[in-house]
Amino acid sequence: MNFLSLVGMEFKKIKRSKIFFILLAATVILWMPSILNAHINFEMQAEGISPENNFFIQGFMGMAWFMFPASMVVGTVLISQTERTNKGILKMLALPISTAKLCLAKFAVLLGLAATQIFMMTGMYYISAVVCSKTQAYSFILPPLFVGKEIFLLFLAAIPMIAFFWMLSVCIPTPVFSIGVGLASIVPSVLVINTKIWFAYPMSYPFFVITSEYGKLAANLNTAQVELIPWIPVAVVITILCLAVSCIRFGQAERRS
Amino acid sequence: MSVFLECKKMKRTGFLPAFIGGGILAAAVPVINMAVRSEMYQTKQGNPIQILLSANWQMMAMLNVLLVVTGACLLYHIEYADNAMQKMKSLPVRESSVFTGKVILTIFMSFLVLAIEAGAIAFCSYHWFEIGNGFFSGLCKNFGYAFLLMLPCVILSILISEACRNMWISLGIGVVCVFTATMLPTNNFALSLFPFATPFQMLAGTDMAQAVRYIYAAAVEFFAFGLAELLFIKVRRSFE
Repeated sequence: MNFLSLVGMEFKKIKRSKIFFILLAATVILWMPSILNAHINFEMQAEGISPENNFFIQGFMGMAWFMFPASMVVGTVLISQTERTNKGILKMLALPISTAKLCLAKFAVLLGLAATQIFMMTGMYYISAVVCSKTQAYSFILPPLFVGKEIFLLFLAAIPMIAFFWMLSVCIPTPVFSIGVGLASIVPSVLVINTKIWFAYPMSYPFFVITSEYGKLAANLNTAQVELIPWIPVAVVITILCLAVSCIRFGQAERRS
Repeated sequence: MSVFLECKKMKRTGFLPAFIGGGILAAAVPVINMAVRSEMYQTKQGNPIQILLSANWQMMAMLNVLLVVTGACLLYHIEYADNAMQKMKSLPVRESSVFTGKVILTIFMSFLVLAIEAGAIAFCSYHWFEIGNGFFSGLCKNFGYAFLLMLPCVILSILISEACRNMWISLGIGVVCVFTATMLPTNNFALSLFPFATPFQMLAGTDMAQAVRYIYAAAVEFFAFGLAELLFIKVRRSFE
């Protein structure tokens, strides 16, 4: 069975999981205050950022700091738990498919969920930008090319974090610990991005990328900028390491019992 | 009786170590913060509890709420995962008493977590500040208040996890609610009564009348969700 059809099959399994409602609810709730407080965007002269850029970046910062990582933790729970009910995973492991491939297919589904949430977020951004443009009589709509670049960066930065969460959910069979460690690891990311070793902490990547974009857009604000040299190699190593560990450990607990 | 039953069920799920670990993690927040930048806080005038809590409570409360949400998801996950709930229903035990048992257990665990955190605050005050007169009564008042305001969050997250058969849905709703709570403005009284937002309140710096109003509101919410649970079970049973 080739990899693509495996991924397709994994997507079929989560069809009736209602996860998309949760992802959508999160993005809707995220943009509500931005619509209600749209006038705040005109009071950012001190930072030297234009209202439309501020509107965009504040929303995405809110997402990148907690909502997006936490949704990914929920996604790992979904993927690991759907198969544990009624021992579905045992049937999958009995098939003549390499377990590493199966593990990577599930990881691809998780990336799919991440991309879906980012797209929903962008869709909601455009809807709320249109609404605010109407209410504030000022165009908040940014060119799609710019928005596309930002969300692509966000997605790329999230991959090591998602790989880490995936490793947690594969390696820790007790759900309370994998969720607990995942959620607890998100909280200090606000502190980590202000330190010099932020690149060693994958959970802070999405938030760091968005904050550094904020610094670029705001003329009077000096946020730390992305330094590609320690970051990219470290991120690649973390991702490969996490995926390798999860591929090796995948299904081991089930095979033993 | 049902509380002891729930305690036994918890044995190998990692519930107890998760709460203790979470409590220690949240308690580490003020200690690390003080160890790294103590000079920033030591120069401030005022009550050490107030200084420490206003510097760290947001993050500690966030960890507490996430812990309660995770714990609540687990409590009903073990019932639904292998259809244990059906066996529970066939026993001469009322369905609502299972809920009560779980609520009492979680309340007890959150008490433990808050006690660990209070210990950390006392340690920080002793090490970096001076313990003055009435320090311990102030500490008890602050954490007692935090405990009371935690109750609506506990009961609602258990209610959510009872309502949803699948763990990811209850966890997803919980996470979305926690996120909403972090976005709500804390100075608006009506909005900060959202059950997941009340644990972010702290006694230090709030005036007494307002604090009493929060306590009443938390009590009302707690009983309202308890009633809602009784109704919910009745309604759900009629559709099963």
